[in-house]
Amino acid sequence: MSRSWSSSRVAAGLVLASWASLFWFLLVTGRWSLYLSTRTFWVVPTGAALLTVAAALRLASARTEDRDPLSSRTSWMLGAIALPVVLILALPPATLSSYALGRRAGFVGSGVSVSAEDIASGQLSFIDVAAAQTSKDGMVALRARAGERVTLEGFVWRESGAAADEILLTRYVITCCVADATSAQVRVVNVPPGRFQADDWVSVTGRIYPLGNQILIDASGVTGIAQPQHPYLTP
Amino acid sequence: MAVDVARPPVSPPRAGSSRRAALLVIGVLTAIALVVRVADPERVAWLQNFLIVFGSLLVEAMPFVLLGAFVSAAIEVFVPTSVFTGLGRLPRPLQLPTAALAGVAFPVCECGSVPVARRLAQKGLAPSAAVTFMLAAPILNPVVVASTFVAYRGRDSLWTMVLGRMALGFLVAIAVGWVIGATRKEDLLRPRPDDVDDEDGVEPSERRWARFASHLTGDVVFMGRFLVLGAAIAGAVQTFVPQTLVGKVADLPVLSLVAMMALAFLMSLCSESDAFVAASFTLFGPSAQLAFLVAGPMIDLKLGALYAGTYSKGFLRTVIVVVFGATLVGTMWMQVVFG
Repeated sequence: MSRSWSSSRVAAGLVLASWASLFWFLLVTGRWSLYLSTRTFWVVPTGAALLTVAAALRLASARTEDRDPLSSRTSWMLGAIALPVVLILALPPATLSSYALGRRAGFVGSGVSVSAEDIASGQLSFIDVAAAQTSKDGMVALRARAGERVTLEGFVWRESGAAADEILLTRYVITCCVADATSAQVRVVNVPPGRFQADDWVSVTGRIYPLGNQILIDASGVTGIAQPQHPYLTP
Repeated sequence: MAVDVARPPVSPPRAGSSRRAALLVIGVLTAIALVVRVADPERVAWLQNFLIVFGSLLVEAMPFVLLGAFVSAAIEVFVPTSVFTGLGRLPRPLQLPTAALAGVAFPVCECGSVPVARRLAQKGLAPSAAVTFMLAAPILNPVVVASTFVAYRGRDSLWTMVLGRMALGFLVAIAVGWVIGATRKEDLLRPRPDDVDDEDGVEPSERRWARFASHLTGDVVFMGRFLVLGAAIAGAVQTFVPQTLVGKVADLPVLSLVAMMALAFLMSLCSESDAFVAASFTLFGPSAQLAFLVAGPMIDLKLGALYAGTYSKGFLRTVIVVVFGATLVGTMWMQVVFG
């Protein structure tokens, strides 16, 4: 019996190839950081390689002795599987915005890099400052550094009723992917009123003051910046 | 267990209508891409939020499903059926704990274990043992144990969470396997058009690799559509339902456990990261956080879609009832002991 190309196998191979292309695209452009944390980055090259092998195997074995036409049902099913590829590729490089703030839990200082020892020495990072607000030891360690100069990056969020020169500098913290995002915020005062809107990315330089259970940054400079390459933090 | 499985009648498609359907699908996908580019989702906050969460769930889960499909296809093509029928002869009281402990050696999250469990049952392992393995692996594997340890490091509840999660996960998985009991694979698994009974005889390597490719693609395509559906539902829930809703019942003894299980169901997190999210719910006690960590990797929206596609209708109901029931009982005991 003669062998011919099976349209359903070719179609399945092409859908797998489209997924492989998506993973290569995320890897090459660095856009993986819009969906995954640095801890789970390995999923992207692994996925790209596995999907490429799967697509190649399917296409290489697409010639068959049986007549294996593509049914309408299978076409729509494969279309549904290819839909996320289309959506992710068409979506501009965006991150979770302030819209998600009210729907997500707050960050707590758990994880490998956030401990009182980390907070007590070295350059203070956003996670150090956010985590210090959630632990007694962290707050004690940070109090010892009151008045020190820090520079932190995040996006702007304003509480209703807050003073005109006050913002909450915000970052999302993710462990695996954006679905597990929690929010971390630091209060900043002395921000030029009316200059920045919600969701604008800014770099804040100022002196840090732990006050009660909160941390305040008295800004000496606030400048608008582009969305960072890695918009999410990983503890 | 109720079984209502019927193989739909298959009629050979006509070439003309198939081509039209394929072109229509390509047209629809192209139109969606254009609409997304033109509409600019950044102007519609909820749409942007949904697309990012939906995309991130899939980007993370798809490689694991694929990994599971590779293992599943390898089992089908390269492992003789006799291996599994031999294991199937073990008495059930021994078979279920062994299957649960086998999960220790399978370090992938819950999406990857579904195709493997289906294949194990199809190859002759007792369906109850295959299901026990599927439910236990995402909790007992070393990566998940390590991530739970890291998430709770420095807290008084560290060992309660790490050991409690392993012990309760082990017991709940066995409980589900026990309830499934002697259900036959024909009654448990939904038939698939690409199901074929391969022989174990020696075949030319080219044919064997072609079969491997067929099983691999079959699993990915079959699971893929349910994964997309589950991720879409989970993305919508994460976009519209505030997590803070559950905070109102944090102090209530039984409701706090139910609320955290419901939240785990809705959030559909990967078992390798869920401990970090559970740890962020500081209003809730260790028992409620444990309920989140045990029930979530066994049943959530994303998995519900995968189970619905893989198993008979009664299976999803059984898993929901037994997992939630057994986890609730287990964590209530924990609540009495640890608070």
